[in-house]
Amino acid sequence: MIKLKNLDFRLPSGFTLGIGSLEIREGEVFAIIGPNGAGKTTLLNIIALLQEAKPGAFELAGRDALLPSGRTALRRSMAYLFSRPYLVNDTVYANIALPLRFRGERDSGRVAEMLEVFKIAHLRDRNAHQLSQGERHRVSLARAFVTRPRLVLLDEPFSSLDARVKEAIIGDLRRITKAAGTTVVLVTQDQEEALALADRLAVLKDGRLLQQGEPQEIFARPVSKEVADFVGVETLINGEVTAKSDNLCSVRVAGGTLEVVSDREIGDKVLLCVRPEAVSISKAAAADSMRNHFRGRIISAEPWGLEYRLSIDCGFNLIAAVTKRSLDEMGLKPGGEVFASFKATAAHLIRR
Amino acid sequence: MEFILSGLRTGFSLVAGGDAEVYSIVRLSLFVSIFATAVSVVIGVPLGALIAIKKFPLKKIVISLVNTGMGLPPVVVGLMAMLLLSRNGPLGFLGWLYTPAGMVLAQVIIATPVVTGLSLSAMQSLDRKFYLQMLTLGAGQWQAMWVCLREVKLSILAAVIAGFGSVISEVGAVMMVGGNIRHQTRVLTTATVMETHMGNFDNAIALGLILLGLTFLINMALTFIQQQKARAE
Repeated sequence: MIKLKNLDFRLPSGFTLGIGSLEIREGEVFAIIGPNGAGKTTLLNIIALLQEAKPGAFELAGRDALLPSGRTALRRSMAYLFSRPYLVNDTVYANIALPLRFRGERDSGRVAEMLEVFKIAHLRDRNAHQLSQGERHRVSLARAFVTRPRLVLLDEPFSSLDARVKEAIIGDLRRITKAAGTTVVLVTQDQEEALALADRLAVLKDGRLLQQGEPQEIFARPVSKEVADFVGVETLINGEVTAKSDNLCSVRVAGGTLEVVSDREIGDKVLLCVRPEAVSISKAAAADSMRNHFRGRIISAEPWGLEYRLSIDCGFNLIAAVTKRSLDEMGLKPGGEVFASFKATAAHLIRR
Repeated sequence: MEFILSGLRTGFSLVAGGDAEVYSIVRLSLFVSIFATAVSVVIGVPLGALIAIKKFPLKKIVISLVNTGMGLPPVVVGLMAMLLLSRNGPLGFLGWLYTPAGMVLAQVIIATPVVTGLSLSAMQSLDRKFYLQMLTLGAGQWQAMWVCLREVKLSILAAVIAGFGSVISEVGAVMMVGGNIRHQTRVLTTATVMETHMGNFDNAIALGLILLGLTFLINMALTFIQQQKARAE
């Protein structure tokens, strides 16, 4: 559906977005994640033909999108939702019918269908400027889908919504795009949103694509410290592979030796990554199949969304995620002693 | 004080009595100014919108030029238009000097920067992403611009009011290009100046009052439309 190769885009501020290679397949939901200022929106604007990148190749729906002619026709095969819904000062009906008007098409019941699908039929004759934020987003989605676009671009479209409304809208969006086989490119800073929607994703930082792949692969096996930092890998320990048997590597770190399944080689200097939710916590030494067990002292226990983050000194600093219930039941407090463990397959080695 | 009251009386009697010459002056004044405003709206609104929306080199300089144009001295415009339209000038072949067409040209030169500048600023008050959003919904460039202009229509109407205001009360340019020829190019402002110079203060006050009344009525009508729209929103 979308193929980008060797494209550069320079903003007047000096910021440069450089895309080596990116391919988004027909019918998939592709998320682009990264911190603020990474270039995510610029990348989406390039795909939407709002900004021009050069000198490489850009193929959109099988056509050369770098050619100056036919841009409007190409844009008409897609829809783009900005983080803020820009609605015209008119009725909800007029807003949803707008893309049809631009194409010189008549409304053959499509608008009514969209009003039903996005559950806003009761707002049909209301002025769009008088709607709540959630309703405005629904109108914006209905307007985007009224022309049955093959490609939908979403630029942090739900960032200003409260959790309940956001969840409902994401549910509707997933249902509709899957049913229609629409290709979706989603830009977000919210990893949960990306995980909830994306078939594949890419991590962008400082104008460079750091990693692309399936969400589980990127979240569990980041290719660099930058990606690991962004995707929430909180335990990062410097070490060196000292032994290897099959794919099981022994990694010497400051506080001892850890075992990790990896294809790294003996002598490799590595950064060992463990996700907080991969670390298991108990009050007594457990006899289980996990290869890495440590006794440690809790340094801090901080609330983290619906969970808590425990920082444990095991000779190295290990971060674990625990629920509030576990925290209370085990009486986990700073200064207290705990046993932490994780599987050899739960850790990942990045070459330094 | 007496001559002012006398002027007021004369003014009312000229209007109420249906003085043919006064009516022809009023008609020409309205024709020239409304026609010039219409032309400047046709040029200035899209031009202002384009300058606001497009990104191009030297954009700031172009905007400065438009802003400078908003304060063009009418006598200088009159002089330029006269030189352009004079027999040996580049537009001399049109034969517009001392004709209503020449006066319209001069007033278009005065009103267009006003309409352009105010339309530009109205469009700049709209988030540029609104325009981009319209493009992504499949609009062509002109369709997107039209939707944007509709969003700021109250400010665009203010630009039209300002454009009309800048020409209906203007005297220097129409005097130089039109020549204040009786029954041909005499308008309210030039007639008022002439009557004042001749010491006919009654007539001058009368014409001034008619001009004031007309300006008020037209502006009131435009403001009424504008405020109706504002209330509707």
